[in-house]
Formats: sequence, C-alpha cells, structure tokens
Amino acid sequence: MIAQKFEYTAPKSLDEALHLLASGAKPLAGGMSLIPMMKLRLAAPEHLVDLRALKDLNYIREAGGQLHIGATASHYDVESSALLRQKCPLLTETAAAIGDVQVRNMGTIGGSVAHADPAADYPAALQALEAKFVLKGAKSERTVSATDFFVDAFTTALEPGEILREVVVPIDDARTGTSYQKMAQPASGFAIVGVAARVRVNAGKVNFVRIGVTGLSNRAYRATASEKALEGRTSSPSDIQAAAALVAQGVDANSDLHASADYRRHLAVVHAARALKAALSRIA
Amino acid sequence: MKISGSYILPVAPERAYQILQDPAILAQAMPGCEGLEKIGPDEYRMKMKVLLAALSGQFEGKVRITDHSPPTSFRLIVEGTGRIGFLKGEGLLRLSPADSAVAASTLVSYDGDVQVGGTMAAVGQRLIDGTAKMMIRRFFDKLASLTQEAKSAN
Repeated sequence: MIAQKFEYTAPKSLDEALHLLASGAKPLAGGMSLIPMMKLRLAAPEHLVDLRALKDLNYIREAGGQLHIGATASHYDVESSALLRQKCPLLTETAAAIGDVQVRNMGTIGGSVAHADPAADYPAALQALEAKFVLKGAKSERTVSATDFFVDAFTTALEPGEILREVVVPIDDARTGTSYQKMAQPASGFAIVGVAARVRVNAGKVNFVRIGVTGLSNRAYRATASEKALEGRTSSPSDIQAAAALVAQGVDANSDLHASADYRRHLAVVHAARALKAALSRIA
Repeated sequence: MKISGSYILPVAPERAYQILQDPAILAQAMPGCEGLEKIGPDEYRMKMKVLLAALSGQFEGKVRITDHSPPTSFRLIVEGTGRIGFLKGEGLLRLSPADSAVAASTLVSYDGDVQVGGTMAAVGQRLIDGTAKMMIRRFFDKLASLTQEAKSAN
C-alpha cells in the first residue's frame, strides 16, 4: 500500500526540528518502524521531520571519560565504530544483532530507543550499561537514566516536543566482560527475548554484574534479582545457573503467536545463562 | 486472547462498584476515550482515540454492563470498530475487600476474553498482549488517582 499524503521537512538545525515538533510534526529517525506503519495506513502523520538530515546529531565520540552516541547514528555506524568496538563492545555486538543489513543501514539508535518497541535489541544493552539519555526540549535539556527512560511498551520518558539528542554510555575497564544473546524472530529479526550481561571479576569472585533484558515484557528492564544472586559468588556454572534462574522473577511476561509467556520466561533464563557465560569468558 | 489480572483501588468495595459503572469517571479513566454517551439502561456509546507509538486510530463502539451483583461482581462487554481494525471483549470483574494497610481498599480482579481483528491484528499480533496490559494498567492507575482526587476534594 501507499502511505497517505504527508508533508516532509528536512530541518537544518535541531532548533528548527524542535519548532516543527511543537506544531505537531512527527520525528522520522530512520523510519524502519514508522514507514511500514504508514504504508499499512496504521499511522498517518500529517508532517514528518527527518532527523537524519541533522548531520550534527550523527556522531560517536569519547568525551569526559564517557562515550557519546548521537541520536541519528545508524545501527551500522555503531556496529562498525572502531571506538565502540574497543571501548564498548557490548553496543557493537548488539547493533550487529539488529534486524538485517537494510534495517541497520537506515535505522538509528535514537529512532529505535525513542520508539521503544518492547522487542528492540538496544534497550537490553543500554539497561546493562546504565546508559544516560539526553532529551532536548525547546527551552531546556535534561538527562534521564535507562531505568527511568523505558516506561512501557512504546512509551518513554520523552515528553511531547522533546527530541532524544544523544545516548551516553560509560567506558568500562579492561577487566569487564560483556555479551548480548538473543532469540531472534526469523522474519523480523526482533528479539523474542534478548539478554545483555556486563560483569567484572576480582580474586575469583564476581564483584560487578549488570543484566538487561528485552522482549520478555512491555519494557526492557534490569534483572536486579539475578544481579544480586551472582554478586560475590564465583563464576561456576552452578552459580551462573542459579542467577539466571531469577531473570524473569516478578516480570509480567508477554505472549504472542511466536512465543507464549511461559516459553518466553524459559528463553530468558537460557539466554541469561548464555550471556553471563560468554561475558565471563571475555574478561581479559 | 485471555486476559486476567487484578488491581487494588483505594476505596471500599461499595464505592469501587459505583465508580466502575459511572460513565463520567470511566470516560476520564479510559485511555483515549473521547466520550461516553448513555444509549440505554447499562449501555453506552463510546468514542475512543488510540495513540500508541506511531499508530493512531479512532474507534467507535459500545460498552454494556450485565450480570449486576453489587458490590461483588459485574460483567463488562466492549465492542469497537475503526478504520484499522476491530476489537471485542467480554470480562467478569470481581470486587472484594483488599487485605491491605489502607483503611478502605478493594481488590478488583478481572478475567476475560478479547478478540482483535483487522489490519491492526494482522500486522501487530506480537504487540496486542502487551498493549492490552498497558491500557488496562493505565485505566486503573487513572481510576485510582481520580478516586484520590475525589477523596481530597471532599
């Protein structure tokens, strides 16, 4: 099908984009979710503002001891960034696991996280990384944590009229191991369940662990029960299994034709164990 | 698709039963509701605008309430159609005094069956369950805050 008629603006500055949003336009940041919905006429925005036209939102750089990723950096930009590969391999690994080549070339990190599809890949990694999100409004700018950013299905902390400007992630020391493991839905590539793990070991004991989960429920979350269970323990297979078993604890799992809620919970446990094992094996 | 769950409202069961059938309050609490108009005893015409991610759709439908058994249970029947699909749902709502520290509170448990069809369901199947849960949660959250407001206004 062909989308309904709409206006299209390629703004020259972030301020111009914010101004257009205030008058009711909808941001386009790659369009890998929005355009198909418009073609099916499930969505019919009257005016699109193409954020990918804003070249100064497309960057990946190191500053102040952290990594800053501009909202319009494509998944391919992230996947192929030498800086991220060296200093935040969890993000390159996650970006490489998204959809297919076409989606990774067009889709952007900002578009993906602002859309907040419950099955998107980035949110798991960004939860595990305790990422910060910089939201720019017409008058001011604010920073929110990953825990506060992902609110519900397709719902984030972004207020109407705000644009996600950048995502900030920490630089881990070399003793940190990370991994993202997912069960992909074969047709869409979306994660039926995806788990990101980030661990550090000191003197044979796990002294730091962060686990982010996507696909299981309406929002990506930190599996704090699993984290607590593993912290201070050795990284033996039985310790990993015991921690992974808690990954879906207290979570209202979703169900659809691809996977029932019980199967999703099972997948979460399996992939949490795989992610932890892989992350531990990558510690330098 | 089966839907079930529960929610605690901060009012006594008698009051909860009342507000769950008060069109003025329901219209405010239902996400996207743009009007609820009485067309018969226990029957209402409803206009709803669903805004979810980029999806936007208008629905028109009916809400019916049957099997009155105050203050413990009633049945809610909802039907809606719009350009992007249709939905039909039927559920039993049961009210009981909640075991909680709050002086008066009610445990509302619901158990029902929802059918969604049309384009919306054909392409959004993987999202229906989560969306339904979110809408129900928003409804009860709003309802709870409305009852709090009413309380403090008194």
